[in-house]
Amino acid sequence: MDYKGLAEQLVKKCLKKGADAAEVYIENGRNLSLEVRKGEVETVEEAASYGAGFRVFLRGRMAFSSSNDLGEKALDDAVGRAIEFAKITTPDPNNVLPDDKGMTEIGGLYDPQIAQIPMEQKIELAKKIEQLAMKDSRITKSDGARYGETEGEVVIANSTGLAKSYRSSACSLGVSVVAEKGDQKSSGGEFCGARSYKGLKPAEEVAAKAARDAYEMLDPKPVKTQKAAIIFHADVGYALLGGILGAVNGERVLQGASFLGTMMGQKIGSEWVTLIDDGTREKGVASEPFDGEGVSTQKRIIVDKGVLKSFMYNTIIAKRAGVKTTGNASRGGFTDLPGIGPHQFYMAAGQAKPDDIIKATKIGLLVKEVTGYGINPVNGNFSGGASGFWVEDGKIAFPVKGLTIAGTADEMLNGIEMVADDLDLSRRMGTPTFRINLLQIGGE
Amino acid sequence: MKFQGYFVEDIPRRKFLELSLKGGLAMAATPALLRSLLAGDTAAKPAVDLEDLNTVIRRALSQGGEFGEVYVEHRLSRSILLEEGKFKSAVFGISQGAGVRVISGDKTGYAYTDEITQEKLIRAAEVASFVARGAKTIKPVDIKEESRPSYITVKVPLQTVADEKRLEIMKRAHDAALAYDARIKMASINYYDEVRSRVVANSEGLCLSDELPLLFFIVQTLGVGNNTSHMGRERLSRHSGIEMFDELKPEDAARTCARESIVMLEAKDAPAGKMDVVMQNGWGGVLVHEAVGHPLEGDNIARETGVFVGKLGKKVASEKFTMVDDGTLPCFRGTTNYDDEGTQMKRSVLIQDGVLIKFMTDILSAKQLKMERTGNGRRESFRNIPIVRMTNTFIDRGKDKPDDILASTKSGIYVQSLSGGSVNPTTGVFNFTCREVYLIENGKKTTPVKGATLIGSCLDVIQGIDAVGDDLDFGPGICGKGQAAEVAAGQPTVRIRGINVGGSRAR
Repeated sequence: MDYKGLAEQLVKKCLKKGADAAEVYIENGRNLSLEVRKGEVETVEEAASYGAGFRVFLRGRMAFSSSNDLGEKALDDAVGRAIEFAKITTPDPNNVLPDDKGMTEIGGLYDPQIAQIPMEQKIELAKKIEQLAMKDSRITKSDGARYGETEGEVVIANSTGLAKSYRSSACSLGVSVVAEKGDQKSSGGEFCGARSYKGLKPAEEVAAKAARDAYEMLDPKPVKTQKAAIIFHADVGYALLGGILGAVNGERVLQGASFLGTMMGQKIGSEWVTLIDDGTREKGVASEPFDGEGVSTQKRIIVDKGVLKSFMYNTIIAKRAGVKTTGNASRGGFTDLPGIGPHQFYMAAGQAKPDDIIKATKIGLLVKEVTGYGINPVNGNFSGGASGFWVEDGKIAFPVKGLTIAGTADEMLNGIEMVADDLDLSRRMGTPTFRINLLQIGGE
Repeated sequence: MKFQGYFVEDIPRRKFLELSLKGGLAMAATPALLRSLLAGDTAAKPAVDLEDLNTVIRRALSQGGEFGEVYVEHRLSRSILLEEGKFKSAVFGISQGAGVRVISGDKTGYAYTDEITQEKLIRAAEVASFVARGAKTIKPVDIKEESRPSYITVKVPLQTVADEKRLEIMKRAHDAALAYDARIKMASINYYDEVRSRVVANSEGLCLSDELPLLFFIVQTLGVGNNTSHMGRERLSRHSGIEMFDELKPEDAARTCARESIVMLEAKDAPAGKMDVVMQNGWGGVLVHEAVGHPLEGDNIARETGVFVGKLGKKVASEKFTMVDDGTLPCFRGTTNYDDEGTQMKRSVLIQDGVLIKFMTDILSAKQLKMERTGNGRRESFRNIPIVRMTNTFIDRGKDKPDDILASTKSGIYVQSLSGGSVNPTTGVFNFTCREVYLIENGKKTTPVKGATLIGSCLDVIQGIDAVGDDLDFGPGICGKGQAAEVAAGQPTVRIRGINVGGSRAR
């Protein structure tokens, strides 16, 4: 079906029914997910689906409706509902649509092969990764292996004449296992995602990591409440990024609800802290040619060697702030208005080897798991649960569990003093391994 | 893809719509409703009738398998945002679809369609039957419509409410929040309502349909002090008509939220390390929802991975601890008439006076564990397989007086409200983020401290509960386990000995 043609036709329908401006966003695609446990298929889920979202403007008032019934009567109804709904909202001169006709060229976002590979082969892959993860004798139980894939098309058209679409695909592979010793239980899980089937990491690598994460945490020892250096392993550094993302959201900044709101151009972290948002990387898991309202994506430096360089905006919030959109309109799906969000958000890699960081640490905590909400984007406070390894005299001494770490974004970002070279760009959000000089640890 | 770790989320505003879909309670189960659902009342859709559903179920089991099911859903939703004094957006959602499931041994096949036509349902049945190829099969029982009693009452149906009424309710909350204190610089009011209609029919001959209204009202306020800010939050939710707001006043929610925002501007650094924690009654029950509830879900027991495997009938908690999951509490956010597999809702006592007596199940885990079906099979929408979920989960009331519990605690922290948290159901290790916390000094609640994380392990906590108050109360929330589900969590005031508190200073 020609969804782009349909979207353009639906924009006209909105205008005909009384909107001054309108945008139609259509998604269609299919997905498959399967789960294997103890060598047997446990679930297979498969479906194709689609839906359309209508954003309409009426003398500066904005409303939205969505429908996953694309029959003519249902679409008429949805457009009518949006226009009726627009009558109750508050007019705002900033309520405008983008007219960007361009599109960022990005290769490798769609792999037509995924659909060609027979289901049996995908089941075999999941069975294989489970088997590999169970290989170590310390691993006693499987919590299942999963394979998933999705492919689809996103279409946006609006009344400025913008009309564009792109196809993308993704697949993922993962496994979780349990290690037991006496009464102790420890779980480990690992997954990988890629735009193409061939892009998935080797099953051996993913399985070995899941198993290691489980068994290496057996026999933890307690440590006392104290202040010490904290090394965030590359697996968990993202825990720091979520709150920063909230704080560089241009709308939160305008609302005074960001701890970074007044810091533009100023130093917010040590010289080791460079944060990048990239929507353009070839084969990137978070790359897209245009954002959730059709604006070309970019690669942007958000924090450069500790200095805050950019906030994130969509079209409406950018107009309100008097700046240009940064191509960060995010969309939860066809059922939702565009918000503001990242593409691939990461901390740039440094030069140290992760082992060098451990060697250089006299007393510290190597964090392998962080729980909690991360940095509070409103006031920058941080508190979380942590487990990992205790480091003494440059060596890993023993596993530790049930600790807490806490501080402020200011202490953490300015305290970063070593950054490793192990950034993994197969995740949507990530950091290399890095060390913070001193943070409060809660223990015995 | 998400592994391990279920969570109850603090809701980022933009995520609200996405997360707060789906509902749970029955109003009226009438043949007329079933027909209008299958026929579709907002759009031109070919009708599907009962005989068609029988055909789909038969087709689902044509390759093999011992259980076949069709689930049809239709949902109309409204979401309105009032923020910074402006009605910024209004979002209307129309969603419909159907899912077909086949269970064969431990295997589940599932497929869904956005189009409710016989052709698409048959196609979904064929796809779902893939897992059962060659397995033994059963002869499905022909479906027969039945009615069930309802645990919700509606005075003013949401479908009959003018939008002006919704706006007025929101404005009352917004204005009350700003009037509370000059330091409240912004209020954000999220109004959401939906009406979800569903049909569940299966090869056991079951055929049920109902209509579930749901209201979810979220107030957030930003307090700005000299050198800090705090975002407060308060939520109201029921399966109810718009009359919910006659009882739960939007102004009261706004003032409660604003009070939190202002009080926390004075927060000092929290202490770090193990200490005694007194938790105020209400939404704090989310701690046991996570720490104890998720590990009591039958799926991880059937997989033999959960922390409670092998502990049925054993003493696992302090004698003061009784925990209940009750999907029948009238109009509660976690209530439904029957779950999304058609199993009747009930009150399940899970832990009685410290002894583990029951797990929560869905159809699949009940079969695997050879236990009764407890009515905990729920799904986010027709796009999801039902899985074991909690409904309204709480620590039952005890005999202690809340004032005495505080007065007899020499030092520690007093948790007035929690945001949410998560648990690893295999290890039972959990974490929670506090919203409003105070120091306890010599039996008195004193200085507010910054929102610290609480962590611990499930068994330690339920063994360490040594005081349970008589003031049981509840709060509404969203539970995430791959899919979102609306739940309520509750507890009386309780004291837990020795929880690790993630403060930023040494004691």
